[in-house]
Amino acid sequence: MHDGAGLRTVVFLKGCPLNCSWCSTPEGQRSSIEIGFIKEKCDECGICIYTCPEGCFSIAEDGAFAFDLKKCTHCQECIESCLKGAVQSYGRIMTDEQVIEQISRDEIFYFFSGGGVTISGGECLTQPDFVSSILKECRTRGINTTMETSLFAPWDSVAKVLPYLESLYVDIKHSDSAAHKNLTGVGIELIWENLRRIDELDLRLPIYIRVPLIPGVNDSDTNLQTILAMASKLKKAKSIELLPYHRLGVSTYDFLGKHYSLKNIQTPSADYLRERGTFLRKQKSRLPVKIAA
Amino acid sequence: MKLAVDNSRRTSEQPYYMDRIHRLKRRVISTRPEMDLENARILTRGFKQALSEPLVIQKAKAFRLQCQEKSIRIWDDELIVGCSGSKIRGGILCADTCWSVLNDELDTISERLYDPFYLAPADRDIFEREIKPFWHGKSNYEEWLAQIPEDTKALRDTGVVYINRKAVRGFGETTAGYEWMIREGIEGIEEKIRDRRLRLDLTRPGDYEKDYYLEALLLVAEGIKILASRYAREARRMAAVETDPGRRKELLEISEVCARVPAKPATSFREALQALYFYQTCVFMEQNAASYNPGRMDQYLWPYLQNDLDRGRLTRDQAQELLNCLWVKFSEPCLFQDEVTAEFAAGYPMFQNVCVGGVDRAGRDAVNDLSYMIVQATMDVQLYQPSLSVRYSLAKNPNKFLRKIVDLIALGTGFPAFHNDDIGIRMLMNKGIPLKEAFDWNPCGCVETNLEGRLRHYTALADINLGSVIEFTLLNGINRKSGLRVSLQTGDPREFDSFEQFLEALKKHYRYITRAVVKGSHVIDEVCLNRPSPALSLTFKECIEKAKDYAWGGAKYNTGNGIILIGVADLINSVAAVKHIVYDKKQATMAELVQALDDDFEGHEELLKLCQNAPKYGNDDPQVDRLVGDLFTFFADEIEQYESKFGTMTPGILPVSGNTPFGLEVGALPSGRRAWRPLADGVSPSGGTDKHGPGAVLKSVAQICHDRFVQGTLLNLKVEPEMLRDENGIQQLMALLKSMCSLGVYHVQFNVINQEKLIAAQKNPDAHRGLLVRVAGYTAYFTELGKDVQDEIIGRTVMRDISTG
Repeated sequence: MHDGAGLRTVVFLKGCPLNCSWCSTPEGQRSSIEIGFIKEKCDECGICIYTCPEGCFSIAEDGAFAFDLKKCTHCQECIESCLKGAVQSYGRIMTDEQVIEQISRDEIFYFFSGGGVTISGGECLTQPDFVSSILKECRTRGINTTMETSLFAPWDSVAKVLPYLESLYVDIKHSDSAAHKNLTGVGIELIWENLRRIDELDLRLPIYIRVPLIPGVNDSDTNLQTILAMASKLKKAKSIELLPYHRLGVSTYDFLGKHYSLKNIQTPSADYLRERGTFLRKQKSRLPVKIAA
Repeated sequence: MKLAVDNSRRTSEQPYYMDRIHRLKRRVISTRPEMDLENARILTRGFKQALSEPLVIQKAKAFRLQCQEKSIRIWDDELIVGCSGSKIRGGILCADTCWSVLNDELDTISERLYDPFYLAPADRDIFEREIKPFWHGKSNYEEWLAQIPEDTKALRDTGVVYINRKAVRGFGETTAGYEWMIREGIEGIEEKIRDRRLRLDLTRPGDYEKDYYLEALLLVAEGIKILASRYAREARRMAAVETDPGRRKELLEISEVCARVPAKPATSFREALQALYFYQTCVFMEQNAASYNPGRMDQYLWPYLQNDLDRGRLTRDQAQELLNCLWVKFSEPCLFQDEVTAEFAAGYPMFQNVCVGGVDRAGRDAVNDLSYMIVQATMDVQLYQPSLSVRYSLAKNPNKFLRKIVDLIALGTGFPAFHNDDIGIRMLMNKGIPLKEAFDWNPCGCVETNLEGRLRHYTALADINLGSVIEFTLLNGINRKSGLRVSLQTGDPREFDSFEQFLEALKKHYRYITRAVVKGSHVIDEVCLNRPSPALSLTFKECIEKAKDYAWGGAKYNTGNGIILIGVADLINSVAAVKHIVYDKKQATMAELVQALDDDFEGHEELLKLCQNAPKYGNDDPQVDRLVGDLFTFFADEIEQYESKFGTMTPGILPVSGNTPFGLEVGALPSGRRAWRPLADGVSPSGGTDKHGPGAVLKSVAQICHDRFVQGTLLNLKVEPEMLRDENGIQQLMALLKSMCSLGVYHVQFNVINQEKLIAAQKNPDAHRGLLVRVAGYTAYFTELGKDVQDEIIGRTVMRDISTG
């Protein structure tokens, strides 16, 4: 469980200002609803060609089955009609009441496990009012709240959600701003600035720093040392955790017609993870170093 | 002396006594189940000798003769002794109840698909020469077959109900007064009987019957004492010729114990265990049946153990060894039943249900050190019996106890059956038992409810196939497989204008079937008046006080028999699909749906997909779960509106393994289930249709008002071992179990086995002989199950992770 303590409901919000090449949830990048096409399930029966009012599906002259996302209006007709479940929708529009209702359905499980709700993404701070409204109501109902974020958001957005959070998970991808920009499309300054401002507030909010460990990308001694040193300065920081790079989301790229650029990176071995953990622990930071399973 | 009860690592460390346990265990596993006709042969001679006496005297004398003449065998390494027959893994034929069952299977029983028993030529010979000629025309089973009502018979023959079970074996499904018997000893009970007899006046009408009934009780009491004394003698004889001094000492101890109990009150933990097991073999000897439940052993045996430990007469390890030895004994006997009944409960299940935990008679936490040791015995021995049940009181039982239970679940043996204590108590109260006594309830057989030494009923008299209820509704009362109209004509479904009309027709069929079952139940009750069971009745105090046998309603409390519903998820999903597809969304017409079902969806792939995609039970989806509460309240109301001469009829939802044979009788259903496949088990979702984790399953299952299904409701969840490999997973399961109790769900049990292993075992049974799985309310060796039951278990949804989202 990397999403907080106990049994939890995770709310994923679509839309993200970052563009990380290793992103494991590419369906969270765009803010709109998306249609995915799972080629392996398709038996080319052709029913979608007739049901799709926009003509997204077609058979080319050479007999190959084709799917054109650009025309899609998300009417969902193809999903309803497909016998094989080869067309799938990512995302749906929900009001804050609907989300809260969904979260509340599991409240009995939170109670005994010390669980609650985790707001995640995409980047959930792209919708600060929505998130704040959900979190506020959860607190009223005694549901534990936490959030996973890059903290790449205007301070106003951050400030809106802070009063209703009981803990915070922040991902740091790289300590060097240029490298960060290169990897994610944005610099690191705003993230550190937000962290610093949160840390100064008179507010009880444990912060857990997490680093997605991508071999050959951000796993160098210097980078890890710098992140650890900066994190250690934060009074509210409670631990630093390494999240090993994984490829579980790769097929989603195909479904969505997106390109996955890290084809050649291997997932880090358990030994390597242990070694990186030991390295960090030797830095004598006050922060405990964890490694996600 | 203080007990160190946390011994969860014991199975890996292997304490000294485990060598003995492994040897005992190996003998059980490597022995092929065999028919054992010694019991029937002596019984027959006993009846012949007492021919003109009242039936109960005949039965009691025959029982005493069995005790006098049966083989006495003490096997190597045993510390607790006793056996109902002459063979280690013997199936006993209850000749007076159902001799003809074996007659029908003489040529096939050794090789039949479900629960084969090897029938030795010598035993076959005994059967044909001595048993068959005497009993012809006299057994309960033949009486039942002659008297079964016509409509009940038609429904039985088309697989809509299963109702023969009680005619093909003895009572079972009860919890005798073990505590009282161990405390008083047989001699103490004899004294009570004599006192009662003195109060009779043979000039008063009715007292003559009471007098000979009490005489019958004295005869069986004498028999039990004789039996134990023969074991004492045999142990002494063996000791005299034993060359190993260690074993000689053990045999002399066995002899001493058997010389005292169960005749005298037990004075030690070991004597209490031995008394219990002797009596257990006696009730089984009297009537072959499943589910004679030892019940709350951690409560009634704890004073003996505590006393021994306090006085330093026994060490903790010695106590554990004795308990483990008893556990192996529980796994020896094999339930014999006809091939159809075996199909409904495959795996030779004896259902000897032992229970730990819960609250005591004052409503306080009842967990003690013995509770942990009993759980440990199941972890150590890992055999299919006894059935271990936990009464878990969310409010009163400690987390340490819950942790121990989860440690056992993680072993993947299918044990224990986890029961929500508060719901069990309420079920007993709904049976008319006051709270004060309901605190003392125990799980029975599969997941039914019981009360030791005080309660009489068949907990699972008959099963109703809910798949057939749907089929009748859509076929105007016709059974698809046979083409026969065996239920009411409720009209052509294509002409139903509304969902309400559909639902009304469904209810009419259910009502019709329930009536037929109740009629059949009354016949069984009548037939079973001719099946007195004095050895069982001996430990029911009120049977002595009223001088009235258990069979005749002598127990303190009597209720109507249990009527069991099978195919819950199939029914709910079918109703939901009809509502969704035909009436709400109008995705297809009723005519199209009926046609697709006629064709088993062949050529109707689109409609099959609609059916499969319709809202499904087990996903915390209000669209379907909203139907559940109303329907199941109706089902319970219907059953409870009937009375028998023993009380209100009682509903329950447990499949044993009946969901498999029932499924073979049901064609395609609107749920998207194809024809002739197993139905869903218990209250569990249909395999593969629950897609939102165990939290959502529990939320859906909680829509059923469990307390009202007083014979229990059964939920199976299968989890992969990886889920419980780390501390986090264990903590999550503990939280999940607590949540389940808050939701008011009654029972859950887990199969912690990966599918690959099951498939491998199916392909290569010899390499996986010891593999245990939870079938329904019981655990069996996977390789001893029939292929379709195996397939059904493999197909159950595997929970990959506990996540509520």
